[in-house]
Amino acid sequence: MKLAFRLMLSAAFFLCLPIIDAAAEELAGLVKSVEGQATLLRGLETEAVVPGMEIKMGDILKTGDEGAVGLIFSDDTVIAMGPRTELAVEDYLFEPVEGKLSFIAKILRGTISYLSGQIAKLSPESVKLVTPAATIGVRGTHVLIKVD
Amino acid sequence: MVNIHLRRCLVILCCGCLMTACSPKNVVVLVPDPDGSVGRITVANAAGSVEIDAANESTAIRDAKTAPSPPAEMEKKDIDQLFSEALAIQPQPPVHFILYFEKDSTQLRPSSAAMLTDILSTIQARQSEHISVVGHSDTLGDKTYNLSLSMRRAAAVKQRLVQKGIDEAHIDITSHGEENPLVKTADNVSNPKNRRVEVVIR
Repeated sequence: MKLAFRLMLSAAFFLCLPIIDAAAEELAGLVKSVEGQATLLRGLETEAVVPGMEIKMGDILKTGDEGAVGLIFSDDTVIAMGPRTELAVEDYLFEPVEGKLSFIAKILRGTISYLSGQIAKLSPESVKLVTPAATIGVRGTHVLIKVD
Repeated sequence: MVNIHLRRCLVILCCGCLMTACSPKNVVVLVPDPDGSVGRITVANAAGSVEIDAANESTAIRDAKTAPSPPAEMEKKDIDQLFSEALAIQPQPPVHFILYFEKDSTQLRPSSAAMLTDILSTIQARQSEHISVVGHSDTLGDKTYNLSLSMRRAAAVKQRLVQKGIDEAHIDITSHGEENPLVKTADNVSNPKNRRVEVVIR
C-alpha cells in the first residue's frame, strides 16, 4: 500500500517535470566550442570546460594560456573568450513574458567578444559588461573588450 | 594617431610589469554586428563616460578613477592582433524558426511543413548538435491539456527531424503550453499564431 502510494507520487512527480522545467529555466547558456585548457568554477567545484556543458548564473569561466571558449546564452547572446581570460556570469534572467531580464557579466581579465542577444534588444539598460575599470552599457551590438 | 595610441598602451603595460601595484587597463572596441549594422555602447566609470556609435571606434580606460579616453578608430590589423583568438572561436548566433500548426492538432500547416527543408539545411550547414524544439499552444481549452498538446507538437517536429537523419541525442524538446504566447490573449482564445513550435539551432 505504502509502495503503491510512493509509486503514484513519483509518477505524479515525473508528469509534472515539464511544468517545472518551463517555470524554473535556470539554465543560462551552453558551451558551444572549446579550444585548449578551460575550467569552470561553480561554487566550490572546478571542472574542465567541454562542449555542450551548461552555463548557469554565478559560474566563473577561466581559459588557460592557449585556451578559448565560445558560449551561447538562451537569449541568443554570444560570448567568446580568448586565452588567459576570466569571466563571471554575475546575473542572468531571461523571462521575456514576465519582463524579467538581466545580463551582467564581469570580465576580470583577458579578451572577450560579446554579441548582444534578445535581452539587449528588449531591455538595453538590463545589460552590463563590467571590467575592473569601467562598465559597458550595450545597445544591440558587437563589442570587443580587453582587460590587462 | 592609432599607432601612437597603441604605443602608449604598450608603455603602460611595461609599467605594469615594473610596478607591482599597477592598475588594470582596459580596452573596449565597438565592431559591426554579423549583419553589418553598428550598435551603440556607453563606457563609464566614476570619472566619466564616453559614447561610441561608429564601427571600430575604441576607448581605453586606465583605471576606475580615470575617465575613458575619447573614442579613436582602431585599425583592423590591431583589432585582429588583440582579439583574433576570441573572434576565431566565436559561435555563430543561433537561428530561430517558427512552425505553425492546425487547431488542436500536431499537423503542421503547409507553409510550415515546407520550412523543414530550411531547418535541416541550417542544422547541416553549421553541424549543430544543439537543437531546441519548444512547443506552444494558444489559450483555448484546459491548461494541462495545452501543455500536453504543445509537448506532442514538439515531439512531432523532433520526429520529423529524426526521420531526416538528425541524431535524436542532439534534439532537446520542451513544452511551454499556453504560458508563453507569441500574441497575448485572454484565456480560452483560439489564436493561430500561438499554436506553434519554435526550433532554435545553436
